[in-house]
Amino acid sequence: MKTLLKGLLFLSAGLFACQAGAMDVTELKLENSSKVVFKVRFQNGSIADPAGKEGLTYATAALMANGGAGGMGYSDIQDMLFPWAASYGFKVDKQVTTFTFQVPANFAGDFYPVMRDILLEPNFDEQDFARVMKNQQNYVDQVIRASSDEDYSKMALEDLLFRGGNMAHMVQGKSASVAGITLDDVKAHYERAFTRNNVSLGIAGNYKNRMLRKLKSDLKKLSKTAFSPAKPSDAQMPNGIEVEIISKKGAFGSAIFTGAPLPITRADDDFAALMIANSWMGEHRKSYSRLYQKIRQTRSMNYGDYSYIEWYDAGGRFQLPPSGVPRSSNYWSIWIRPVQIASQLKSQYEELADITVGHAHFALRMAIREFDLMMANGMSEEDFEATRTFLRSYTKLYAQSPSDQLGWLMDSRFYGRANYLAELDDLLAAATLEQVNEALRKYWQTQNVFVTIVTDESEASPLAASLIGNLPSPMSYSELVRSGLPEAVLAEDDEVAVYPLNVKKVTIVDSADTFK
Amino acid sequence: MKHIARFTGFWLAATVLLATPLHAGEDKILPNTIHQHRLDNGLNVVTVPFDAPGLAAFYIITRVGSRNEVEDGVTGFAHFFEHMMFRGTEKYSKEQYAAALKSTGAAANANTWLDRTVYHMTGNANELELMFELEADRFMNLAYSEHDFKTEAGAVKGEYTKNFASPYSQLREKLAETAFTTHTYGHTTMGYFDDIVDMPNQYDYSMKFFDRYYRPEYNTVLVVGDVTPKQVNGLAEKYFGAWETGDYVSTVPAEPEQTETRYTHLQNGSIPPYLNMSYKGPAFSDERIDMPALDVLASIVFSDTSELYKKLVLEEQKVRFMGGGALDTIDPHLFSIQASLVDKDDMGYVMEEIEKAIRQVREQGVDDTLLERTKSNLKYSFAMRMDTPTNIAESLSHYIWLTGNPESVNRLYALYDKVTVDDVMAVANQYLQPERLTIATISEDDKGALK
Repeated sequence: MKTLLKGLLFLSAGLFACQAGAMDVTELKLENSSKVVFKVRFQNGSIADPAGKEGLTYATAALMANGGAGGMGYSDIQDMLFPWAASYGFKVDKQVTTFTFQVPANFAGDFYPVMRDILLEPNFDEQDFARVMKNQQNYVDQVIRASSDEDYSKMALEDLLFRGGNMAHMVQGKSASVAGITLDDVKAHYERAFTRNNVSLGIAGNYKNRMLRKLKSDLKKLSKTAFSPAKPSDAQMPNGIEVEIISKKGAFGSAIFTGAPLPITRADDDFAALMIANSWMGEHRKSYSRLYQKIRQTRSMNYGDYSYIEWYDAGGRFQLPPSGVPRSSNYWSIWIRPVQIASQLKSQYEELADITVGHAHFALRMAIREFDLMMANGMSEEDFEATRTFLRSYTKLYAQSPSDQLGWLMDSRFYGRANYLAELDDLLAAATLEQVNEALRKYWQTQNVFVTIVTDESEASPLAASLIGNLPSPMSYSELVRSGLPEAVLAEDDEVAVYPLNVKKVTIVDSADTFK
Repeated sequence: MKHIARFTGFWLAATVLLATPLHAGEDKILPNTIHQHRLDNGLNVVTVPFDAPGLAAFYIITRVGSRNEVEDGVTGFAHFFEHMMFRGTEKYSKEQYAAALKSTGAAANANTWLDRTVYHMTGNANELELMFELEADRFMNLAYSEHDFKTEAGAVKGEYTKNFASPYSQLREKLAETAFTTHTYGHTTMGYFDDIVDMPNQYDYSMKFFDRYYRPEYNTVLVVGDVTPKQVNGLAEKYFGAWETGDYVSTVPAEPEQTETRYTHLQNGSIPPYLNMSYKGPAFSDERIDMPALDVLASIVFSDTSELYKKLVLEEQKVRFMGGGALDTIDPHLFSIQASLVDKDDMGYVMEEIEKAIRQVREQGVDDTLLERTKSNLKYSFAMRMDTPTNIAESLSHYIWLTGNPESVNRLYALYDKVTVDDVMAVANQYLQPERLTIATISEDDKGALK
């Protein structure tokens, strides 16, 4: 193994993590840095939302970050911070809420009281509340359905995997629940779920120790309520392959996500072994992974195809996985980016005038078949070594900026690790081919998975019939592409077209009826 | 462009960005020395040492984008060609290229925009030579089959398909073709769907495209991180030294002067009503005050701290989000103001309020204190972002594609310091006029409400 990014692997020089009383504190002193980054994390997340008030944790954090504090109005705060270019924001995930503040080091002292008030003395003003809730309502009513069919199918998959459990709903909530959230709900939730007993603190950059001491002391002024984080619900095991097709007027393609429970997380050493298998199969946004090469590169079916063994936030935006989304309830998944629907293909190519279903069924068969082949054959020694080498370098790129470094360290603590990325490197170095092949067979299966497909209303019924009937789904290439394809590809297509999937249930849901 | 080589510093240890606090008035916004070295074939090689042990960001900026798509029927081609650059050479087949790329362990990708295409990889600095070898090989010796060409077009169609789900993408297409009747900014980088469907038939054109633009004079190599100029320049000579200069000069048709307000509308009730007011603006320049003055104006009048934002978003809550600003482009593009509304019936009112705010700047200028606070914000915002090799490379690549010279970043921020109230008034009067305006709207109605 070559010398690897020693500076990023590291951090040992300035890294401290301690239990200061009950408060978990992660320090990353970077004396050459020009800024200070604070991360204040509450172990609550959307699973802390009371039943019927889904979206309340998000609303509370949003109002803290986008409202006034300490008697200052929101716009007064923004005016004060503007010349320093100090910034802050919040991220709510299923199990944690994180506030991140960044400020040039020479203004950190001036900035501190504002940060303290946002955390300890939010105004919870009626007018701010109305504004914040209007946007949250709009997100659950419109934005998630209308902006990206890919994100839509991803959220729909979680809704299906965790249905009935506290992990099911989007962190922003549901249409009906958000409408029912009141300002009194927010105030009560702040007292109940944003407390001195579930807060942890991270600080990075060129900060003064006395500021850290002050912040630790001030955070003890948070609510004294004895908050116990909820237990996240487990992903459910479907009975066979269960498909939910979301029928949407005017969709241009079929956006697909599949997923099934996974009992391990970063806390388990097996996770590193499974990571090697997953990277080879479907590393996020990488052209050298198997699914990408089979579905996109060889067959030109869509923009990309990837697989995951944990939640990957905002995959359409990020090339590298962001921090701040640690979860203890896990599932693995396949993301098939939008493929063509029949009505589009028919309009583009005369030779496809007779088709009734687009590419979704074929793409799903192909992806599942690749997993089956991997489980049957295992990884080769050569692929194992190449992928491990890749990951030992690539994972060190996850935490480049001070903010990212701090975020990954704090996530490490969630999983009971001191420095996950450093420990991961050790685990990857020690992994064997046998471990990887054992792990992928132990944790992956394709007989029982959930599938969500967002597609056009013209495609929904024919696709449903094709899936439930296990009907042949021959690949419908344009003649331009088909004529140049090697025989081996066409022969493989014939096998894929009739590859049996254990489909037991297919439902069609109107887009208007999702996330209610 | 001048040959700027700051060799005096090349043996120094890597600098740390902003180890000392930034003060208004300093000469250069980027404290790291930018080393430039031009090869005999014209290729500019830029090195910026940065204290990130073991890490290097390797970028190639190709100054070709959808702006260069001057022939009929080839909209979207620069972007499509970016895809083809991953399809192999004689030395590295596409499979071998993928395996070699994987072996670097880098985060690598590419993207295309109006004026440029950027290829980037951030990874282990020890792999720098392999990065050079791979990139030089494909930039000089790209070789793909006609079948691979036809196949890749499907992936572009897939990209269009995923983007099309957003009504905002659909409106961008309409806005571009309404605002620009002649210039190639009239189509988006993605291109028209009919042209994308026809892409498999353009194999011969793709050969021409490669021959024209994948030449030293259209490209810049940029490396930021744990590297030295000597090392980078040596590798550049070794791997790019034999690259032959071309002779193609791209001629982009000029956009005729607009004489009256134009309108376009997208009927879509699935998202909140949306208003985009786009004025014809200037081209980017690191010498003229226009663009810096417009950037300052945008911040003062349309940002989250503006009076207009406070009124429409925070107090009246008729608008969900709003913002404004000019695009940095090689040729004149648009200064746009966007607002996402709560109620479509407020479209006229919101437009009036925006016009009122502009009129106020035209007639009365802006507050001098606010001007200074804005300059401070611009500088600190930039400095706060420059904390990784990737972020620095992203920023420098922006100025490289605009002017060919990364020093433009320092020149631009020096210009910000010089912006006066009179400059802001002058650009408001020159650019933010009704005859330069295109109004693009989204609502559930079949026609826009503002015409």
